[in-house]
Amino acid sequence: MIWSDAAGDVVRVAAGAILCPLVPGLVQHIKGRLQGRRGPSPLQAYRELARLWSRSMVTPADTGILYRLAPTVVGACLISALLVVPIAGQASGWLVGTDALVLIGLLALARFMPAAASWDTGSGFALMGTSRDLTLSVAVEGLFLAVLILAALPTGTTDLRALSDAAAGGAAWTSPAHWLAALGFALVLLAETGRQPVDNPDTHLELTMIHEGPLLEYAGRDLAYLQWAAAARHWIMLILAVELFLPHPGGLLGGLGATVVTVPLLCVVLALVESWQAKMRLLRVPRLLATGAGLCLVGLVIWFLGITS
Amino acid sequence: MTPVSAIVLAGSATVAAGGVLAVLRRGLRWGLALQAVGMIAVGVGGAMLVLGAASAGADFTGTAAVTFGLDDLTGFFLAALAVCSVPALIFAMGYVPGTRGAQMVGPLTAAFLLSLVGVLTARSAMGFLVFWELMTLIPATMILAARRESIARKAVFQYLAITHLGGAGVWIALLLLVGQGAFGDPAALQAAGGTMQAIVALTALIGFGTKAGIMPFHTWLPRAHPLAPSHVSALMSGMMIKVAIYGLIRVLFEWLGATPVWLAVLVLALGTLSAVGGVVYALFQHELKRLLAFHSIENVGIIVLGLGASLLFEARGQADWAALAFAAALLHVLNHAVFKGLLFLGAGSIDRAVHGLDLDRLGGLLRRMPWTGGAFLVGSMAIAGLPPFNGFASEWLTLQSLIHVTTGAAPTGASLPPLAAFGLGSALVGFAATIGLAVTAALAVLCFAKVVGLVLLGQPRRQACATANEVPRAMIAGTTILAALCVVLGLFPGVIVPRLMLLAPTAGGASIGGLYDGSAFRLQVPFLASGSLPTLGVGLVLASLVLVLTAVRGSRRAAVAPAWACGQRVEPALRWTSTGFTKSLRLTLETALRTERAVDIEEKGGVIQAVTYHGAVPHLFDTLLYGPIVRGALVLAGFARRLQSGSLRTYVLYLLALIVLLLVVGRIWVAP
Repeated sequence: MIWSDAAGDVVRVAAGAILCPLVPGLVQHIKGRLQGRRGPSPLQAYRELARLWSRSMVTPADTGILYRLAPTVVGACLISALLVVPIAGQASGWLVGTDALVLIGLLALARFMPAAASWDTGSGFALMGTSRDLTLSVAVEGLFLAVLILAALPTGTTDLRALSDAAAGGAAWTSPAHWLAALGFALVLLAETGRQPVDNPDTHLELTMIHEGPLLEYAGRDLAYLQWAAAARHWIMLILAVELFLPHPGGLLGGLGATVVTVPLLCVVLALVESWQAKMRLLRVPRLLATGAGLCLVGLVIWFLGITS
Repeated sequence: MTPVSAIVLAGSATVAAGGVLAVLRRGLRWGLALQAVGMIAVGVGGAMLVLGAASAGADFTGTAAVTFGLDDLTGFFLAALAVCSVPALIFAMGYVPGTRGAQMVGPLTAAFLLSLVGVLTARSAMGFLVFWELMTLIPATMILAARRESIARKAVFQYLAITHLGGAGVWIALLLLVGQGAFGDPAALQAAGGTMQAIVALTALIGFGTKAGIMPFHTWLPRAHPLAPSHVSALMSGMMIKVAIYGLIRVLFEWLGATPVWLAVLVLALGTLSAVGGVVYALFQHELKRLLAFHSIENVGIIVLGLGASLLFEARGQADWAALAFAAALLHVLNHAVFKGLLFLGAGSIDRAVHGLDLDRLGGLLRRMPWTGGAFLVGSMAIAGLPPFNGFASEWLTLQSLIHVTTGAAPTGASLPPLAAFGLGSALVGFAATIGLAVTAALAVLCFAKVVGLVLLGQPRRQACATANEVPRAMIAGTTILAALCVVLGLFPGVIVPRLMLLAPTAGGASIGGLYDGSAFRLQVPFLASGSLPTLGVGLVLASLVLVLTAVRGSRRAAVAPAWACGQRVEPALRWTSTGFTKSLRLTLETALRTERAVDIEEKGGVIQAVTYHGAVPHLFDTLLYGPIVRGALVLAGFARRLQSGSLRTYVLYLLALIVLLLVVGRIWVAP
C-alpha cells in the first residue's frame, strides 16, 4: 500500500516537474499564432532551460549567501508544492500533506526568497519588481483565502483531496457559490502566474517588470531553477483550477482524463486572455482583486441563503 | 506544599536573590545569571502544571488578602515567561554592564519578573491589582534609569497616563466581579444578568486591551517599547502584553458565564483591526524598534482572533472547536514570545554594534555579524509566517479555526432554511476575519522582506556598519537560543498542542484530548477526516531538496560582475530606502491612510532655487482619537484649575464639604 502511494507520488511529482515547462511554452505558441506569426514551438521552454543549464552563473559584486541560496530554496518550495497538490484527487500525503494552506505557505516562502536576494544585490530594478510583486501578493493572498473558503463550504476542510472529491461530479455545481469561486480563482490564476492584465511576462523593459524583476541578476543554472519554478507555478495553478474549480468526473481515470483535456484548454484560454487584455495600471490591480473578493462574498451569502440553481 | 509550588517558590526566591545580588557593583552579571536560574525553575514548574500536575495553592477569592495559587493556565503562562526571559537574561549579562543606570536596571529586571509571576499567580483581586500596578510602573522606572532625554520622559509620561486611563477598566471589571461575588465563580455573573455581564466584559476588554496593545487602545505601545533597554523591550513585548491576555482569558472565558454572541463578534472585530492596522502602520516606520512594537500589536491581534473564534464557537455550542481555537491562541502566545523576544534582542545587538537603528542607515550586517544576523533572519522569517518556522504553525491553526467559523456556520440538514440568520452573520464575520488574517500574513512578508533587506543585506550604508563587529558571547547566546527555539517549535508544535487544547476553560477540552492522533510531528484538526500540517515533513523535505538542488547546481561561477543599472555605475546615493520600497502599498492605501505630501518649490526670477519634499504617514489613531481626547482633557483641566485658588482656607472648606457630603450619602444609602 505504501509503495503504491509512494510510487504514485513520485509519478505525480515527476510528471509535474517534466511537463510544467510545456504550459508557458504552449501559451507562447498560441499567442504567436493569434498574432499571425508561426510562434515558437511549445518545446521552446525546454530548449531555454537546456541552454541556461549549460551557461555559467553570475555573482553580482558584494552579494552574500542569500543571493546564492534563493534559487535553490525557490526550487525546493515549488517541488514541495508539486508534492502537495493532488492530481485526479490522488495523493498519499504522508510527507508534506495535502493541505491548501501549506501550499499557500510554500508559495509565500518562494516569494520571500527572491525578495531577499534582490535586496542582497541592491539592484534598483530588482527591488522595484520585488516591491510591486509583494504589494500585489497582499491582495492575491486575500483573494486566494476567500476562494478557498468558498471551495471549503461543502466539506469544511482545507485538505485538497477532500476539496477535489467535493468538486467532482455534478453535485457542487448546482450552487452558484461554486461558479463565483471559479471566477475568483480565475483572477488568482492570472495574478499568481503573472499574466496580463496583472503583469506582462514577455516584457524586457526593466521598469515594467513585476515578478521578472528579481530574476534580472541571475544567469545560468540559477536562472534555470527560477524559470522552471515560474513554469511549475503555472502548472500548480492550472491543476488547482482543474481539481477544484472546473467540473470533472470523479475516479482516477476520469480525473486524469479531465486533467489531460482541460490543462491544454486552459492554456488556450490564458493565451486568449493575454492577447485580448492590455496590462492594467499597477495601482488598479488590487481593486480588481478586491472585486474578486466581493464576488466571493456574494457567493458566501448565496450559499447561506440556500439558493441553488 | 506540592512539589510544583515548591519549585515555583524556590525559583521566585532565586530571582529575588539575583536581584539583590545585582545591586552590588561586582555582582551584576552573577545577579542576572542567578535570575536566569530562578526563571528556569519557575518555567519547569509551569511546564509540570501544563503536563498535568495538580493545581496548588489558593483558589480565586474576592477577599482583600493577597493569596497565590497555581493552575494549568497559570502554569502555561509561567512556562512561556521562562522561555522568553531566560534567553533575555543571558543576553542582559552581556548587554547591561557598562550602560547608563546598569546598577538600577539589574535589580529592577528581577523586580519586573517577580511582578509578572505575581500577576500570574495572584488569586485575589487585591493581589492581582497590586502586582498589575507594579508590572506597569517598573518598566517605566527602567526606561528612566537608562535614558535621560526629554523625549524619553515625555514618552514614559504618556505610557503611564494611557495605561492607567485604560487600566481603570481592569480595576472596574475586577472590583465589579468581586462585588457580584463572581471572582472565581462562573455561575454568579450569569445570575446577575446581561447588563452586568456586558459592563464587566467591556471594561475588561478596554482595561486588558490597553495593556495588551489591542487597537484602538494601543497607542502607548509604540512609544514605550522602543525606549526601554533591549532585554526589557523583549520582556515587555514578549510577556507583559501576554499577561494582559491572561487576564482577558480569565475574565472573558472563566468568569463571565455564558458567552454572548455580540461579545465574540466584537472580540473578532478588534482582533482583525489590531492585526491589519498593526502591520500596516509597521510598514511605514523608519526605526527598527518602533516597527517591532507595531508588529507586537499585529500579533496580539492574531492571538485575539483565536480567542474571539473560541468565544464564538462556545456561543454556538461547538465546544471542541472552541478548545482548538483556544489552543491556537495559546500557541501563538508562546511563539510570539519567542520570535518577538529574538527580534528585540537582535535589535539590541545591532544597536550595540552600530549605535543606531534607523532602517535606512543600516545594511550589510549579515556578513559583519553572522551569528546575530542569522538569528535575526530566522526571527524575521518566523514572524512573517513562513514555513517551516513556528509562526507558520500557529497561524495555520488560527486560520483553520477562522475558516471553520465561516464554513461551520452552515446549518446542517438536507434542506437549508431560507434565512439562517445566525449562520449567515457568523459566516460573514468569519469571512472578514479570515481575509484579514491572510492579508496580515502577506503584509508581514512584505514588511520583513524590507527589514531583512535593509538591515542585513546589501551594502553597508554607514561607516559604522562597514566596520561593525560581532557582539559579546552572552548576547549571541541569547539570540541563538531563541532562534533554535523558533526552529524546534516550528518542527514539533504537535508536542504541546494537545495539552493546550486541554487548557481550554470550556467543556470540550477534555473530550477532544483523546481524539488527537498524538503525533508530535504534525499539527492536526482532530475532528475532521483530514486537515493536517505535517510540520516535520515539510521541514525535512525543504531542507533535503535544498541540499540536493545545491549539489546538482554545481559550482561553476563566472567572474564577479556589478549589478545591472543599465550599464552605468551603481550609485550609492540612489539606493532603495524603506519609503521607496513601500511606496506601491502606500499609494494603494492612500485614502485609508490619509498620507501627507507637500512639495515646496522655491523660485526666484523664473529659476528654481530649491525643492523641499515632505511626506508622512500620520498615525490616524493619534490624530483622530487621542488628539481630541487629550485636548478635551486639557480644557477640562483648565476649568478645574480655577478650583485651586491657593488659599488654605478654601481647601479646608472643600474638605469639610466633602465630609458632609459623604456623611449625607452614607446616611441615605447605607442606613437601614
